[in-house]
Amino acid sequence: MTAVTDILHLLFTANLWQATLAAAVLLLLPALGGVISERSGVVNIAMEGMMLTGAFFGVVADLAWHNPLAATGVAMLAGALMATVHAVVSIQFRADQIVSGIAINIFAAGLTVFLVNRIYGLQDVGHVGQSELIPYINVPGLDQIPFLGKVLFQQNVIVYAALIILVLTHVVLFRTRLGLRIRAVGEHPQAADTAGINVFAIRYGAVITSGLLSGLSGAFLAIGISNTFVPNMTDGRGYIALAAMIFGKWTPGGAFIACLIFGLGQAIYDNNSIIHVSPYLLSMLPYLLTLIVLAGVVGRSTPPAADGLPYVPGSE
Amino acid sequence: MPLGSVLLAFVVDGLLVGVTGGNPFAAYGALLCGGFGFICTQGENPVLQISNTIVFVIPLITTGVAVALPFRAGLFNIGAEGQLLAGAIACTAIGIKFSSLPSPILLPMVLIGGMVAGALWAGVAGVLKATIGAHEVVTTIMMNYVAQWFLRYLIVGGPLQLAPGTSKSSPIGAGARLATVLPNDNTLIIFGLPSSVYRVHTGLLIALAAAAIFAFLLWRTSLGYEIRAVGQSQKAARYAGVSVRRTIIVTMLIAGAFSGLAGATEIAGVDHNLTDKYFSDSTGFDAIAVALLGLGSGVGIVLAAILFGALHAGGSVMQADANISGNLVFILQALILFSIAANFVGAIRQRIPGLARPPTALPPEMPPAAPMMTEAAVPPVES
Amino acid sequence: MAHKRLKFLGVAAAVLMVAMACGGSPSGGGGTKQYKIGLVTDIGGLNDKSFNHLAYVGLEKAKSDFGIVDSVTESHSGNDYVPNLTSFASKNYDLVIGVGFLMQEAVGTVSGTFPNIHFAIIDGAGTDSTGKDLQHTNVQSLFFKEQDAGAMVGVISGMLEKQGKAKKNKGVISAVGGVSIPPVNHYIAGYKWAATMEDPGIKVEVGYSNDFTDPAKCQGVAKGQINDGSDILFQVAGGCGLGVLQAAGQAGLYSIGVDADQKAADPSVIASALKKVDVATYTAIQNVVKGQFKSGALTFSIANDGAGYAVDNLTLPADIQAELKTVQDKIKAGTLTPPADIP
Repeated sequence: MTAVTDILHLLFTANLWQATLAAAVLLLLPALGGVISERSGVVNIAMEGMMLTGAFFGVVADLAWHNPLAATGVAMLAGALMATVHAVVSIQFRADQIVSGIAINIFAAGLTVFLVNRIYGLQDVGHVGQSELIPYINVPGLDQIPFLGKVLFQQNVIVYAALIILVLTHVVLFRTRLGLRIRAVGEHPQAADTAGINVFAIRYGAVITSGLLSGLSGAFLAIGISNTFVPNMTDGRGYIALAAMIFGKWTPGGAFIACLIFGLGQAIYDNNSIIHVSPYLLSMLPYLLTLIVLAGVVGRSTPPAADGLPYVPGSE
Repeated sequence: MPLGSVLLAFVVDGLLVGVTGGNPFAAYGALLCGGFGFICTQGENPVLQISNTIVFVIPLITTGVAVALPFRAGLFNIGAEGQLLAGAIACTAIGIKFSSLPSPILLPMVLIGGMVAGALWAGVAGVLKATIGAHEVVTTIMMNYVAQWFLRYLIVGGPLQLAPGTSKSSPIGAGARLATVLPNDNTLIIFGLPSSVYRVHTGLLIALAAAAIFAFLLWRTSLGYEIRAVGQSQKAARYAGVSVRRTIIVTMLIAGAFSGLAGATEIAGVDHNLTDKYFSDSTGFDAIAVALLGLGSGVGIVLAAILFGALHAGGSVMQADANISGNLVFILQALILFSIAANFVGAIRQRIPGLARPPTALPPEMPPAAPMMTEAAVPPVES
Repeated sequence: MAHKRLKFLGVAAAVLMVAMACGGSPSGGGGTKQYKIGLVTDIGGLNDKSFNHLAYVGLEKAKSDFGIVDSVTESHSGNDYVPNLTSFASKNYDLVIGVGFLMQEAVGTVSGTFPNIHFAIIDGAGTDSTGKDLQHTNVQSLFFKEQDAGAMVGVISGMLEKQGKAKKNKGVISAVGGVSIPPVNHYIAGYKWAATMEDPGIKVEVGYSNDFTDPAKCQGVAKGQINDGSDILFQVAGGCGLGVLQAAGQAGLYSIGVDADQKAADPSVIASALKKVDVATYTAIQNVVKGQFKSGALTFSIANDGAGYAVDNLTLPADIQAELKTVQDKIKAGTLTPPADIP
């Protein structure tokens, strides 16, 4: 019973929700990337690898240039480069998109540690200086609102950016011609092609966007939240983002809610010193929750119709 | 085709070593020594290297089968790792609980216990796929995480923990252990080293049997026919009177049993207790590469498992002898996957007029890429 | 052409002479044995920013001092421990070093197989599968009194808090552990004990991230502690703990690093608790090179300079410095003994 009351007490603290939002954003960016990619019909389970690559090159660039903005750009490009590999292999060569995704994840894990050794020797990667990190900014005025001010307006720049990207993704996907095209390509590429839409171009764009967003999340992790690269520091977040995407039924808003739930789980877990449950059992919760959702408790989640199917021009 | 893909991966990987200032020939030489005991220059014992490779190969074969079988049915089992852990947990729990039983009773108990646990773990994904259409890639990934955290709970503060402050279980009973091929004796010298260094255990026979059973099941039984039919086209399979739903569930159950068996043989043959090493185990993920490279034939899986087992064992020697990070092996593994998946070799061949062959995007025996949206995603209507 | 050939002959002659000098040296310099030392990391790998890295630093120092031949193998999974250790042992290395608590059972097994090869293990012993020390005569256990180092930084925290020289001065400090295992808890035990000794009313909050690699997780735990009023945060979580230092910096508070001197990690780092794994590794190698290998436990503490502290981005008041010296001397003399278990 103490655990329940502890958690209830915790739920009414602004600090918890501030931590929840930050943890959610780490997942939200790759999840949005996944939504865009899969809406165009390309399965993407490579967010983990793209994030890790972004984290690594973000740190490398920041150490070299002492400029977090430029480093964030490099991280996004690195993520996009990985995404391009996925795009070429799965769109051009029509490879199995899941295999390609797994390969990217293994590749990124191996490559980053290999390069750490090669670039920095068997020494410490080095720490990015305090002033060279992506800053936390309080929004003047708004940050003084009781409760909400702390939760929403005392955050890292990336958190604000992610919330804007969330809205943008929703608007673009569902309110613009481009969004219509992306969804058409993901649902019925043959028809889209007939209607004059360049299926390949849309898919390339969508996959590369997912890399940009995953890389941004990697930058947040490596030069926003921490200030160095640690091998495998993404720790499976790309996979949880994948779960969030499905949890959210391939919609930006749904993915965001799912990320908030996972973020809340993480935030409660981080405050485990006052909760008297095995932290390991607590850690299982997000995954069990996803399974329950998949089992249909909150309704069926159906992927885009052509998700995972390579497009062969002129077929059928 | 797969041979070309592997070669291409090695070439690209070698370039990477060269570009970053290493010597690819030294690296591959050491890799060869570590994996197969060939041309060892730093005093490695070739027999020991081969033995180490075989120890890695054993669970790779069994989990490779566990990925390859569902692949034939158009299902992507990424959950071999979680199923392996479930099998290891069950094996350990039974092996401790009934530790006093004699081997002829206890050994089958722990192995079958592992299989049942693995089957149940995979069965969740199978049932969700067959009834609701939940994609097995996602459900098996989730089940992996659940297994990993559950394992931690069990041996760190949970009911299987040996003693406070440890992260392991107590050892399983002597009757639950698989014998090593050579006696586990520190005083007996074989091939120049104490025979206990050769850790190859009789689980090798179990693994080879698993590969044989896989081949038999797939090509000589009606279930195998149904699995292949479902993998080719669920619609067609349904017209042919195959129950797609049942086939999906049964396939996942069998696959899980194989993975669970792999976990049980690891406990019974190598570790004899659950330890924190299982937090970092990646056998079930390597199995995906094994299954893809093995092209779904029994012999192919064994050969692919040997390749990846040798890479694993060789990576360490490569770092010790050639001073090239063992992480290179992971890059190599990823490149092999890319290369096979994308069939770069085939594409290159087509660009060169003299070598052009009829277009073969996929080998004829391989099912079309497991799409995210198969007909099963819409619950099959069956009477 | 002729020039090239001449050059070749010259090289060949030189090689021959060196070979003769080495092979046939009747006495003197050529006779010294070149020792072969193998280091096997645990799954953290060499870039773990923690003890694997420090062990490597010690190995490198020994290499330049003693001219040993060294070889390193990183373990990528727990399955690699036994084969990696066996590989060095089978090649007749003079010392095989296993880094970390996780390798205890593997060292126990392999040292039993190779009774004539010397082994050393950091943070552990060679054990059987029930965790019992096998006490093999060829295994040296390198243990640390992390509580000594924890106590020194505990003194700093306790005094700063008592004197109101920290940032919030609400009487709360904290520690973030990676996983609740002995080496981590020793640090926290000493920290809590010493802080309470200096400031009896202080509250020391302890949390665990259950992770050693993901800075975001440790940062989350740290932020929870900061919300509870923590003023000075002590990280005991390797690479994960870097997130703790970061969280303290963002909140404008103080933090304390662990294992190595983490001054550069964040400006908030006022001190570091040092566990000199490099010294331990170096000492173990030195013992072998000098023919003084001894089995059993070798404990590194403040008394033999194997544990300690570093003062980082803060100039401590004179009275705190004096107290640090007093406490250090008392621990060295054995009149003060920091506990190994969290009080």
